[in-house]
Amino acid sequence: MPLPTITEGDIKALIPQISSAVEIGHGGQRVVFRATCNGQPIALKFALLSDTFKPDHEDLEVAILRAQRETQILRECTSPHMVKLGPIGMGTTCIAGQNILYYSEEFIDGQTLNDWLRSDGPLHAKEVVRLGLQMCSAIADLWSLRKIHRDIKPGNIMRRSDGTGYVLLDAGLAFDVAGESISAGFLVGTMAYFSPEQFDYTNRRAMDFRSDMFSLGVTLYEAATGQHPFFTPTTTVTHLFSKIMKQNPVPPSSINSAIPATFDKVILRMMGKSPHLRYRRIEQLRDALAQLQEDL
Amino acid sequence: MAIYAQHGYGKSGKIDAALDSGSIDGVIFGARNEKIENIKSCVDNVREKNGKVLLDPQFHVSAINPANDRFLPDYPFYKAGRTSADFIGVKKISSHVKTTLDFELTLQLDKLLSPTVIFDSFESKWCQTALNLADASLDYHASLQGAPPLLLSFVIGEEALESRNELDDFLDQLTSWESMSGAYIIFSREDYSYSQRFKPERLANALYLNYVLASINGLEVINGFTDFCGLLFRSVGSTAFASGWSQGMRQFHTRSFTKQKPGGQQPRLRYTSAPLLNSILLSELQQIYESGNLDQVLSGVPLDEVITGADSPESSDWNAPTSELHHWESLKLIEKQIGEEVPENLSVLDERIATAQELYLMLKNEGVVFGPQTRPDHLEQWSEAIETFREIASL
Repeated sequence: MPLPTITEGDIKALIPQISSAVEIGHGGQRVVFRATCNGQPIALKFALLSDTFKPDHEDLEVAILRAQRETQILRECTSPHMVKLGPIGMGTTCIAGQNILYYSEEFIDGQTLNDWLRSDGPLHAKEVVRLGLQMCSAIADLWSLRKIHRDIKPGNIMRRSDGTGYVLLDAGLAFDVAGESISAGFLVGTMAYFSPEQFDYTNRRAMDFRSDMFSLGVTLYEAATGQHPFFTPTTTVTHLFSKIMKQNPVPPSSINSAIPATFDKVILRMMGKSPHLRYRRIEQLRDALAQLQEDL
Repeated sequence: MAIYAQHGYGKSGKIDAALDSGSIDGVIFGARNEKIENIKSCVDNVREKNGKVLLDPQFHVSAINPANDRFLPDYPFYKAGRTSADFIGVKKISSHVKTTLDFELTLQLDKLLSPTVIFDSFESKWCQTALNLADASLDYHASLQGAPPLLLSFVIGEEALESRNELDDFLDQLTSWESMSGAYIIFSREDYSYSQRFKPERLANALYLNYVLASINGLEVINGFTDFCGLLFRSVGSTAFASGWSQGMRQFHTRSFTKQKPGGQQPRLRYTSAPLLNSILLSELQQIYESGNLDQVLSGVPLDEVITGADSPESSDWNAPTSELHHWESLKLIEKQIGEEVPENLSVLDERIATAQELYLMLKNEGVVFGPQTRPDHLEQWSEAIETFREIASL
């Protein structure tokens, strides 16, 4: 079921504090607006509720309460590299007969890492390490609340235009490892950045921050080389799955000679096929990246 | 970086002698084999000699029925004949953990060892119980102020090592415990006879387990009840291993902890040959001497003098206590040469194995006949296991 068209008028009627709203992104079951709320820019996100939840299996109200509880927990995130929730709390509405969930986030002036890589090519090694360190901060922040993001990828990382760094978006999909989540029942995220264990839906409760570490490893690999370690335009879904599960990617330095060999070791470890082959603590990854930063 | 004596029955002066000679670095006492009223003085004695001391509470014996538990019933954490019902619920698990670790805390130990139960499949309910005990031990340990570091104990039946996928899940679970600092791992062997044989695919997975915990995740790993295989585990990163003076303390068998009919044979005298990577019978050493090849199989440790100072091995004063001390000396000699880089260690092992195989072949050609437990079969198994391990560890 596609998301119905949501107009600025719909938004103003729904949220009176909003004085303007311009669509800036549309994908799948979600749409994002740059809106002005009490004079401040915010990102306002709408998602098709009936596709996000399983109303035939659980009570919708209970699910919404759970989602609100989760976003409340995310409000506790303190990392400057984790997107902040905006002033408009989570709510639901009905547009064209469809149940819609909406929430707001801070508006980040910049472009996604995905767009940046497409226009400017790979990042310099130092910048890749900076990106890694900042995303470590976001992952650690989430994990301190026993949450994992599950959808770390260049398209979900904003590069601030003022050059101060990167921010991890879409925290609304964060998964509560101790219970259900707003995305319960679905494999979320983009498959090309999935960790091997993310393909095992039945095993989802065993996942921890090391799954996000894998996705970050794929992201850093791509940022450093301009190439995805497992995916090319001709890769089929089956082939992609097989590569993520079994194939060890070539070292980044073999693609981009400006990348030092010490960097290979860190990135490839992040992409270990099993969680036990990756860094056991996020601090260990942070230390390894900090060491790289010092050596570069 | 260390070899421990795995304490068993009849310690007499063996521990003191081995500590004095520097062939061991410490002792892992077994509660089963020491009276509770003596355990403190035993621990203190090792500490006085600057040895490291651990106490294996051997809690796992409580779930063996009928158990050969010797002095264990005197220990507060032990109760004979525990069943799975004794491990249901957080309260029971926490109580087992508290009683065991509290007792260990009354002693001046270098590390605490958590209580555990034996399992032979990573999918079994006993494995889940072992994980619950480990998890509860981490929680309880975190509440203790100034306690020694905790090693999580696991007694893993070697059959469990058949499944790589299950092992992977087990390792994922263990390494998800951020407060875990180390493990005390015992592989319960299937073959009751004493030999260095180990099915290659199982040994490869045992190596992988040690490698993942120690080298990849930086945990302290001590392998209990091991022998020459301890050298293989050390080569892939484990911190230390423990080997006992008797064959039953060099390899773990549940049968050793199960009540048996009285009887059995007195073990025959053995000589541990570092070049052959095996512990051979003294009668076999005599054959080697008679073939004129004695020098090639001697370990090159001080206690070899007992053999070389006599007319022949069988006419020497070689006896059980000497053989036991010599065993540790020989293991220590090889252990000292193990470095920190796993690929290099494996290359050295490859060379050692190849040399031992050549030596065995030469001795065979010279007419030396080895018994079924001292043949070189293990060398091929080790070699195959190392190759498989290299593949699964991407080394």
